[in-house]
Amino acid sequence: MSSGINPNPSVFLLMLNGQIESGEFPDFDELYCKFSFHHGQDWVVTSGLEEGISQITRRSRDERELFVWNFPLDVTYKSTNPHGWPQLVVSCYGPDSFGRDVVHGYGSMHIPMVPGKHRVKVAMFVPVSTSKLQQITSWLLGRRPEFVDPKVVAQGEGREVTRVRSQGHVTVTCNIVTRDLKKLGYDLQPSDVTNIPVATMT
Amino acid sequence: MKMSVKFVGFTGKMAEVHVIGQLVGASEFPSHSLFCKWGLHAGGAWKLIAGLKGGQTHVDNPENEEHAYWSHPIDVHYATKGLQGWPRLHLQVWHQDMHGRNELYGYGFVHVPSSPGCHDIECVTWKPNGTFQEEMMQQFVGGCPQLKNPDLVYAGADRYKLHTTAMGKVQIRLNVILRNFDKYGVEC
Repeated sequence: MSSGINPNPSVFLLMLNGQIESGEFPDFDELYCKFSFHHGQDWVVTSGLEEGISQITRRSRDERELFVWNFPLDVTYKSTNPHGWPQLVVSCYGPDSFGRDVVHGYGSMHIPMVPGKHRVKVAMFVPVSTSKLQQITSWLLGRRPEFVDPKVVAQGEGREVTRVRSQGHVTVTCNIVTRDLKKLGYDLQPSDVTNIPVATMT
Repeated sequence: MKMSVKFVGFTGKMAEVHVIGQLVGASEFPSHSLFCKWGLHAGGAWKLIAGLKGGQTHVDNPENEEHAYWSHPIDVHYATKGLQGWPRLHLQVWHQDMHGRNELYGYGFVHVPSSPGCHDIECVTWKPNGTFQEEMMQQFVGGCPQLKNPDLVYAGADRYKLHTTAMGKVQIRLNVILRNFDKYGVEC
């Protein structure tokens, strides 16, 4: 720990230790994934990597048909405000039938808020062209529709004009540790809401 | 006699609620090329400090025909002076066919959970019925009657006039963070 016990903290810390464990994509043979963290204005990364690229893995030749990355995630945030809680954005890429690198899925999840161990299955989706002609030319030329910035997936605005096809899931496991959230008065679990004085009613 | 609970006594800070989560997706609808218009409605004592209180998801035409996925983020920050009017999340699920036409599939609402923590919620939806002639037309042309006043989705006042049919379910994951509620003596 960098400092001792602080009686009046002004920031709280959030630490995530985990991994992008595996993926299920019935239609593809080889995939790699990129991850990035997207957060609000009040959040700052104090340690760890905000972005990364995994190894290329092949689907297992058994009945599970699993892609395993076992790719470590390790990041610590500090913030003054839970608004803009960080999200993990995962995007998967792989070769298409002609050998060109195309995107096979985007997905996002909020970093879990409750301290402890979590296992989350993230749904992956890929943008699709609106017209049939565009779909054919993009299949021929290998230029599939993709988001200019994968962080769009973590935002709520501007999504109403996109059409996507959901295919596959990615499993992320993580352990969450927080510091000083309770001291700042934030209750994240029902057991946190203690110290109840006598209520007054009007 | 109407009683309302107002926060008195603790003059330090207002009570705050953070609602952070996702509209995960939908299932059990007749067809799953779906999108969702959502909104949050809260009473007069609640003030929205940050975040969007409404929006529309992308259209998902899923590979897995049984389930549409939106993963649409929701992140709002409320401050409140009273317990009445706890926020409600209301939804309209729409279907977009391959020609780009939109038809309404269902309305639904759910209260934001009142206890802190991570909640996985399934919101049921319903569709208004029309007259017999309108239903025959719907078989051929599609579409469905829509509510003139969308507030009816989360208010109970004039519901007795409606005839509806059940539609599918929307899966929502919401995390609720509360602040200063225990200092006002609120148990949740």
